Amino acid sequence: MLRAENIYKCFGALQVTRDVSLKIPIGIRHAIIGPNGAGKTTLFNLLAGELTPDAGRILIDGQDVTAYAPDRRARRGLSRSFQKNSLFLNGTVRENLMLADIVTQRYGFHFWSRLSDNRRARDKTSAVAEQVGLADLLERGVSELSYGAQRQLEVGLALMGTPKVLLLDEPTSGMSPEETGRMLQLIDELPRDMAVLLIEHDMDLVFSHADRITVLNYGEILMEGTPQQVRGSDIVHETYLGGKAAH
Amino acid sequence: MQNLMNFRFALAALTMIAFLVSWSGAGYFGMELLAEIAILGLLAMSLDLLAGYTGLVSLGHAALFGCGAYAFAAFTVLWGWPASLAMAAATLLTGLLSLIVGAVVTRVQGIFFIMITLAIGEMGYEIIFKTRALGGDDGLAGIPRLDLTAIGVDLNDPGAFALFLLLILPVVYLLLRRLLASPYGAILNGLHDNPVRMRALGLPVQRYQISIFAFSGALAGFAGTLSAQHTMFITPQLLHWTTSGEVLIMVILGGLGTLVGPVIGAATVTLLRHELSDLTDYWSLWLGVFLILVVMGGKNGVVGWLEAGWSIVRRGRVKRSSNDASR
Repeated sequence: MLRAENIYKCFGALQVTRDVSLKIPIGIRHAIIGPNGAGKTTLFNLLAGELTPDAGRILIDGQDVTAYAPDRRARRGLSRSFQKNSLFLNGTVRENLMLADIVTQRYGFHFWSRLSDNRRARDKTSAVAEQVGLADLLERGVSELSYGAQRQLEVGLALMGTPKVLLLDEPTSGMSPEETGRMLQLIDELPRDMAVLLIEHDMDLVFSHADRITVLNYGEILMEGTPQQVRGSDIVHETYLGGKAAH
Repeated sequence: MQNLMNFRFALAALTMIAFLVSWSGAGYFGMELLAEIAILGLLAMSLDLLAGYTGLVSLGHAALFGCGAYAFAAFTVLWGWPASLAMAAATLLTGLLSLIVGAVVTRVQGIFFIMITLAIGEMGYEIIFKTRALGGDDGLAGIPRLDLTAIGVDLNDPGAFALFLLLILPVVYLLLRRLLASPYGAILNGLHDNPVRMRALGLPVQRYQISIFAFSGALAGFAGTLSAQHTMFITPQLLHWTTSGEVLIMVILGGLGTLVGPVIGAATVTLLRHELSDLTDYWSLWLGVFLILVVMGGKNGVVGWLEAGWSIVRRGRVKRSSNDASR
């Protein structure tokens, strides 16, 4: 499980994260919503270790990882997808997933065994490709894939290590409604021994697929609760939903 | 992808055959040329591991090459060690030095990496240049060659020495090919393509970069020990950044990240230099024109051009055979 305690971060004079605390137990699908510039991706980068908080603590499974670099946090069981696709464009879908397998199973120092002989890795990559709906495109070059398929692979890479905590940064951004539906189904079907935190833009989607929701505004938590509580909240309506409508 | 790998392997075999054929007909001068090509081919392959596969473009690789050469010379000429022991020790020493240098230079990326490798390489050059015990700017002479008389081979014979080097070349090529087909090789490619994602997946990126820097450096040092034996006289010029630049040109000209390309690049540059310098004083100008032509096409060096040509030929053949079938 993932916990953040009183996280602060500022860039120069701009306070982008202010006193944010989160608790995401195993099995929970937790969503973060908020208008553009609310500090969602910054918070994500703080959790994943790309940024270090000015104050506060981050814990995975009760262990303080605040000072850990991203790779060390990943080895503790935290995995993330990127808002902007971050793939290995020179390889095929299979090679991308294979690479994630090598890193997460930690056999990158094997310099003499043939990668193509590794049956377990082949089976695992096939299984994950199936899971994210890329089974038919395994041998296709990633640069030839449609944007939607690349987005699926983005999540596939994050799933390869069977992480304890999965951070998904707007997994459906830029997807067609059909692709979005498939992605949400994928998220629904994720094993329940995984804690999932996702950033989402589309509020309607979040309401029907998340167990808990945190609303961010100007780097601060506006409120946290179940989808029903958030939907019924006056403050949220005023500052987020209402504010949007007034524009 | 598999097709490409097979094509490159065939190309490597052809290159090797071409070397052996020219060896069988070469005179004294030809033997010297072939020996030089083999040594530079090894050096260029070692740089390809870094620049082509891992995406770490180093401009200080000649310093590691020179380190191997000078260490070999010092061990044999100054300390009187046998050449075989000196070769192993010099390779190991260069590898260790590369490990230390690698730990420093991999802290920065991109253009800063190029600059810091250049700076460290120049430091190496200056140190050798100023060290009287190693001959300073006069260089170091009287370097012996490996003694293989036990198996009836006299490496002081130019033909035997050239063949010796030409046989080392494919052995190293095959070892590296195997290395690159391993999980470790996949990691190197991944680091080139997207180091940020590699780190997010949990890879200790710098540790892997240091390891390949050290390995590549050791291989460059090994090539250096051969170079010292070839010329039997070495100068600090071996470590100069212009030598690094020339090797980088060989890699780019032949094709980055193709392994066989750098060998072809080494052969091309060496031959062009010797052929053109007879005809014109401006041989490097023509080399430059050639380099621009090869790179401007947007192809990955000579190997990239050959691959493009091959895929056209193959597509043509597939089309023709499908036409035949439909008739």
